[in-house]
Amino acid sequence: MKARSTNAIEVLKRLVQLLLVVIGATFLLSLLLRLLPVGLKELYVTGLFEEDRQRQIKELGLDRNAFSYYFHWLWDFVRGDFGRIVLPGGGGESVSSHVGRALPKTLQLVFYTQIFALAVAIPLGIFSAYRAGRRTDRFVSYGLFTAASVPNFVLGLLLALIVGVKLEWLPPLGYVPISESFVDHVRGMVLPVLALGIPLIASYTRLLRTDVIATLREDFVTMAVAKGLSDRRILFTHVLRPSSVTLLTSAALNMGALIGGSLVIERVFSIPGLGTEIGLAIFGRQYFALQAYVALVAIGYVVFNSVIDVLVGFVDPRTRERRSA
Amino acid sequence: MFLSVSSTLGHGSAAVLSKFRSLDLFTKICLTWLAIVVLAAILGPVLPLDNPREADIEAMGTGLFSSGHIFGTDTNGYDVLSNIVNGSRLSLLIAVVSVGIGGVVGAAIGIISAFVRGKFDYVVNLFFNIMLSIPNLVLGLALVAVLATSADPTQPVSSNRRVFVVIISLTIVIIPILGRIARGATLTWINREFITAARSMGMKNRDIVLKHVVPNVLPSIYAIGFLAIGVVIVAEGALSLLGVGITDGVSWGAAISRVSGDFTYAPHSNR
Repeated sequence: MKARSTNAIEVLKRLVQLLLVVIGATFLLSLLLRLLPVGLKELYVTGLFEEDRQRQIKELGLDRNAFSYYFHWLWDFVRGDFGRIVLPGGGGESVSSHVGRALPKTLQLVFYTQIFALAVAIPLGIFSAYRAGRRTDRFVSYGLFTAASVPNFVLGLLLALIVGVKLEWLPPLGYVPISESFVDHVRGMVLPVLALGIPLIASYTRLLRTDVIATLREDFVTMAVAKGLSDRRILFTHVLRPSSVTLLTSAALNMGALIGGSLVIERVFSIPGLGTEIGLAIFGRQYFALQAYVALVAIGYVVFNSVIDVLVGFVDPRTRERRSA
Repeated sequence: MFLSVSSTLGHGSAAVLSKFRSLDLFTKICLTWLAIVVLAAILGPVLPLDNPREADIEAMGTGLFSSGHIFGTDTNGYDVLSNIVNGSRLSLLIAVVSVGIGGVVGAAIGIISAFVRGKFDYVVNLFFNIMLSIPNLVLGLALVAVLATSADPTQPVSSNRRVFVVIISLTIVIIPILGRIARGATLTWINREFITAARSMGMKNRDIVLKHVVPNVLPSIYAIGFLAIGVVIVAEGALSLLGVGITDGVSWGAAISRVSGDFTYAPHSNR
């Protein structure tokens, strides 16, 4: 009973921290707009007559101070109103419709990449831990280290050039929605996912290898060997689960890097996702839209990390006990 | 690895050589490459190369091993080899300066906050979490995009100002990363017996931090810091690819940014 109430307090504390981080991050972003070397008024207020100008200033909330502006912005943001693309004549598209179009594409890219990276890294990590110190292990380690040191955009460009243009196996760029053609959708996603995923595979494999080597020394593994279970069965059913905590945590932490990486990769492969929208916002000087996009990315990242933190407790109950102890 | 090499530098070149021989092949290749890049950065101006900022109008967009240009030229006629060699200077400078400043500031904040504990530590930790909640590249992108806006839309921001803005932005990105490492490392050392002993013997807090905490925390900062230099070099290139980094001038990022458009319409053009 007592343990449960301390757990509830722990969860509450985490939620408060989460909320503070989200509010802090979005507030900093809204302050950032005030740091522009150009005044927002000079950028966006274009009316010729004084009344027009005053009306525009009011609409954009530029007459408020930093705090009041932020809380108005937050209230709108929570209700899903991300502002509008500001056009000189007024009446641009709403930012939320841009988000609605772009976000699914970025999420697809990020999730495919995670699945691909984990699907390759788990067998590879277990295998190289099983053969730790042997030639195959060293070969895998060095090979992955080399692959990981190539920046993902270079990898992307090389893949596009070799597989896409020279060999003509896959389209070098472009995005096809699933609803249009599933096969073309997959074909278009292969190269971006490879470019984003190969560096991830390297770090995942390393983490899993270290943890599996540690787990292999535990008593229950000796026990399983003594019972005469096959190596494969021991590795995949007994060893993998307790060894995957670091891997899962790192996978969650990598979401941020992945979202950042997808900005560049989207540009290389011209996928009209959030990264492309951020780029367009920067070039079009749409700083309100930029603020909304970056805030969305930050919130998604924080929430995802917290979810994984809870999930880790289910994967390895020992961490749950350790924490409550 | 890096530490052991740099610590032998004082003992003369013979010691360095013998130390170098004892390393494994992979490390040797890495160190050699690093030395070549640093030498290129230092010796760039005196090497017999074309002017990296002067276009060869006779030969625009030539491929590898064309006459006069071993690595060819880009579509503007700039010599590729010369831009790579001379570009290393600015790219390395940006990386080393931003990681250097970010590391010192971040480490100072992290160590002090872990040492003081209490409310100050809570606020600092929250601040680090806030900064880290925005993915690095996105934060850098937003900072550069906002800070490098020119007042007049028709007038591009000057190259020097862009370099300055990129360094500042990347420094801001680095501070919480290294700060958090420093804070974590300090927290593990602060409860050790020798610190308690030093305290019980009446050592001043300032001396405890400088003599006992800092030397123990530094290795973990070096480890991440060297990694960060590589990451920042890549980030500079990525920012340029996205069109907000250094777009003119001589850096690796600028070289990418000048020709990044070519891939959209002519990826087959022999490079």
